[in-house]
Amino acid sequence: MESEPIDVSEQQPEASSGEKKESPKEKEEDDKYFSSGGESTDDTAASDYEVLDRLHASPRTSGRRSTKQEAREKAEEAEKRALAMDRPSDFVPDSVSRIFGASDFSYLNLKPDNASRPLWINPLDGRIYLESFSPLFEQAQDFLITIAEPVSRPSFIHEYRITTHSLYAAVSVGLETDDIISVLNRLSKVPVAPSVVEFIKQATHSYGKVKLVLKHNRFFVESSQADILRMLLHDEVIGKLRFRPGKNGNNNENTKNSSSNNNNNSTKDSNDNLAIAEAAVPSYAFGKNTVDKNNNKKEESAKDNEEEEDVEDIYESVIGDEGDEAEDDIDKVHSFEIATESVEIVKKRCQEIDYPMLEEYDFRNDVRNANLEIDLKPSTQIRPYQEKSLSKMFGNGRARSGIIVLPCGAGKTLVGITAACTIRKSAIVLCTSSVSVMQWRQQFLQWCTIQPNQIAVFTSENKEMFSGDSGLVISTYSMVANTRNRSHDSQKVMDFITSREWGFIILDEVHVVPAAMFRRVVTTIAAHAKLGLTATLVREDEKISDLNFLIGPKLYEANWMELSQKGHIANVQCAEVWCPMPAEFYQEYLRENARKRMLLYIMNPTKFQACQFLIHYHENRGDKIIVFSDNVYALEQYALKLGKPFIYGSTPQQERMNILQNFQYNEQVNTIFLSKVGDTSIDLPEATCLIQISSHYGSRRQEAQRLGRILRAKRRNDEGFNAFFYSLVSKDTQEMYYSTKRQAFLVDQGYAFKIITHLNGMENLPNLAYSTPKERRELLQEVLLKNEEAAGVELGEDSENLIGHGVSKRIKTSSSRAVKNQSSLSGLAGGEDMAYVEYSRNQNKELASHHPFFQKNYYRKKMR
Amino acid sequence: MARAIKGSLVQCDPSIKALIVNIDAEYKDIVIEELDDTHLLVDPAKIPFIKRELNILLSKNMYNPDDEVQVS
Repeated sequence: MESEPIDVSEQQPEASSGEKKESPKEKEEDDKYFSSGGESTDDTAASDYEVLDRLHASPRTSGRRSTKQEAREKAEEAEKRALAMDRPSDFVPDSVSRIFGASDFSYLNLKPDNASRPLWINPLDGRIYLESFSPLFEQAQDFLITIAEPVSRPSFIHEYRITTHSLYAAVSVGLETDDIISVLNRLSKVPVAPSVVEFIKQATHSYGKVKLVLKHNRFFVESSQADILRMLLHDEVIGKLRFRPGKNGNNNENTKNSSSNNNNNSTKDSNDNLAIAEAAVPSYAFGKNTVDKNNNKKEESAKDNEEEEDVEDIYESVIGDEGDEAEDDIDKVHSFEIATESVEIVKKRCQEIDYPMLEEYDFRNDVRNANLEIDLKPSTQIRPYQEKSLSKMFGNGRARSGIIVLPCGAGKTLVGITAACTIRKSAIVLCTSSVSVMQWRQQFLQWCTIQPNQIAVFTSENKEMFSGDSGLVISTYSMVANTRNRSHDSQKVMDFITSREWGFIILDEVHVVPAAMFRRVVTTIAAHAKLGLTATLVREDEKISDLNFLIGPKLYEANWMELSQKGHIANVQCAEVWCPMPAEFYQEYLRENARKRMLLYIMNPTKFQACQFLIHYHENRGDKIIVFSDNVYALEQYALKLGKPFIYGSTPQQERMNILQNFQYNEQVNTIFLSKVGDTSIDLPEATCLIQISSHYGSRRQEAQRLGRILRAKRRNDEGFNAFFYSLVSKDTQEMYYSTKRQAFLVDQGYAFKIITHLNGMENLPNLAYSTPKERRELLQEVLLKNEEAAGVELGEDSENLIGHGVSKRIKTSSSRAVKNQSSLSGLAGGEDMAYVEYSRNQNKELASHHPFFQKNYYRKKMR
Repeated sequence: MARAIKGSLVQCDPSIKALIVNIDAEYKDIVIEELDDTHLLVDPAKIPFIKRELNILLSKNMYNPDDEVQVS
């Protein structure tokens, strides 16, 4: 191990020369290198910067170095170079090395006691593979979760990835670079590759030097080292974004002058100043360089800077730590202001140039914002994993912004509330719907001592504000991000929200928020600390990485399997049921276009039978069943045929509530059909079985959210209790593809999907639908006559709630509903239409319309 | 005089049968006789071709996580 760092420097010249060469030459170069490793040690002129540059070009970091043109195109060559660095000079490729190419890691010799060490790190991409059956697993997992992000956690081998973000998080909880490396070395089966070591060092050394601070509703970039700040100001992107309120025009002139002055200076002045001046010329000159003609030392010049700045512009004043005033200049904090709207750009840029910004809120020493009287009730108990996640947030007594990932039903709300109680400042909570707004409010009152009059709810119906100087606001993203005209009342509230500083902002279900809306929210509300909560940090559009800049890194991700073993969430059996398509359906399937195909595979009669059978089976077991279908037409057909109540976008609010209540308390109603309005925000702890008949293409998030509906099952702690999750899939169709893709997320969480190819006893079910070829043909006929529009999934974001969106949805879906009757002749005659409506609404209506008196008397009679 | 054609009997799921019939519609002279939902008589010389085509068609319904571009 000791020799490896030396290897790094030895290899520098080799690799840096390779950088400029064409790829065929590179190949030769490599071969030459392998055969005569000793030669390369002769010329060792390369500096550390070249090592760093090379590292930047390697694929692991290339995404961040967009300025480096070579990065992406030459990723492969860079890989080779990284390899050249890793491989010791005496490495001799054996006969099979060629097959493995860049992935030949045989030079990493196994340690003699490798069997007792649980992990292995891939030197190329920083992925860590951990044996979960190792005795050291518990400790190793705790450590890895701090320094790396979990990628996949099935039963035996867990996969983690070291990223710059995860390393930042590790450093900010107090881990030292050397500790990280030594622990990794102790746990690893092979010596940790030099490239990994270098990566860790590089990511951690610059972290924490630059801070983004919110003061008096304005953003400042702070650093204790003036040269870093100057470096930032010289940066082509950040330099321009420096904000000088009031004196903008003046300062621009100043800038020009100073840069020309600088040129003069540098020619006149001694060599010492030359470097600074040269760096300043290309884009921007730090105002003061002109002044310090005599001071050669950077620290001193910086001191001058600050004094000058004080005079020049009070807003740019350098804020010094009160206690350290007398000490060295280095201990002073230097800062410059940036405009609110450019915060994100600056953050991104800082990330790129490897000076990531630390966003911490020292809430205990914040005297400017009034404290909020809020504490957890003594009866409130926090589960160990919730505590763990919060300890990552408040690692050093300050609040760090970031995202906490917990499965649905694992108590995300309580984590948010506890965090708010820790910070004890005015807080704002944003959620996706007004239903969850009310849930949050109710949870706050339930778990902590806050007074009801201190909680303000800001929704379309409710626009009150709290009294006093501190309080809590709960609202929705759309209310805050709305750019259209507001009513007078809500404008007043918005002005109030934007005009003040918030100690803390909780962003619920962060994964659903479109990036643009999110930006608006984050920029309009000035908050010291941000906490994002979600269960599924995946998006199909890969916008998830944006959250890193908008909120912060992922602080904690819970292990689903562990939680379910400990009984915090239900144990779920997942199954994929393959339903073969009858020949006549499949022939039509092959003939039709993509949209119609979808309708055909959803309306597959075998699938219908499977659904019927599973409902029958689980109802007999005493389960409460939710059936999900994204396709409204199918939802209606299935529910009507089986005589079950259903809810979709245009079901009126009153009816929904009725159905949901009946599902919870009525023993006669054990099955409901939900469209995607039920994916989130409907809280049904009674449900224990879930059947999915159609879904939103390959959305992993939806799959996880739906699974979440049964994770909080009330009965989860019963002995041997299992919840069931079935996904019905038509065999040999496109659906198979989507289905596998959707499962990817849950599989990564450790869920195993059983595949059921045949449901035993399905044929013998009484009243089995579509059991005769005639019925099937009729169904096929009907489906083929359907308009293509019927195939579409329900419109609108699934994050939309029950309340407040009904109207718009009704308009959207009404077009497809109007088309449905056109095929029926008797319907046109008018006679059957009424009867049809009566029939179709039957189940819902029955639950809805009767007076309690009739329910009491009539229903009882009926039951007898 | 009776005419005899040599053929291979293919037994498969209804959906696969539909696929083979579909391939036949495109390239001709593959299927000699459709017997029932699960049985077909096909030209023995075309069997490797049928297998290849089926593999292509069915792989479209298969999801492979490695196909996706890894975003780091």
